[in-house]
Amino acid sequence: MAFEVALETTPETAKITLKGELDAASAPRFKEIIEKAAVSSPARLVLFVNDLTFLASAGLRVLIFAKQKMGAGVQIYVIGSQGPVRGTLEMSGFHHSVYLQDSYGD
Amino acid sequence: MTRRVFAAHLDELAGLRQFVGEMARQAGLSPEADYRLRLAVDEIATNIITHGYEEAGRSGDLVVSAEVDPSELRIVLEDSGIPFDPRSRAVPSRDQLERPLEERAIGGLGLYMVMEGVDRFDYEYAGERNRNILVMRR
Repeated sequence: MAFEVALETTPETAKITLKGELDAASAPRFKEIIEKAAVSSPARLVLFVNDLTFLASAGLRVLIFAKQKMGAGVQIYVIGSQGPVRGTLEMSGFHHSVYLQDSYGD
Repeated sequence: MTRRVFAAHLDELAGLRQFVGEMARQAGLSPEADYRLRLAVDEIATNIITHGYEEAGRSGDLVVSAEVDPSELRIVLEDSGIPFDPRSRAVPSRDQLERPLEERAIGGLGLYMVMEGVDRFDYEYAGERNRNILVMRR
């Protein structure tokens, strides 16, 4: 499944929906969206990944980039990760730094 | 043995994963083992394409072969990029993996996922070609 990424911003929050396969070929598009989202200095970055079917380390590196670009104070939520995508986030220790949740209420 | 040749370009990764997924299903791997193998092959191929070829100013291809025997599925990636043994690269320690993202080093995560994901990993350099061998038990 081809990679798709969409951004929605409110004054406090940047919401990004990721679908399909996030690998080294598609990661630059995710990084571009993070740069766009960082312009408004959001307090929260919320990633919806229910339909993300593949996550390579190139995608994890974009999350590290997001934290470094937006500042250590930004809170990152990853919503709806399941199966091996969630396994990758946990194996690489990202659950210590981001909130892994099943759903997100505004 | 089944063999495919891919151009050394990141756009080829999706097709490469698809090929490996087909081989994993034919070998009867569980969906979970199939994913771990596809991820490991993807990470190794990404390193080869990016560091072995592109950053080194080289071009070439990536030859992928799959061999199934009664006990295991072996995926072999061969390339003529710069010699690189993934086992020589230190993977992040447990302590490093628990650090906040803003203090993380960027490298090493991919190879960590390779080494954690496959049942066995081997590397050879012969005839000016890298051979990365990823093995899953059936």
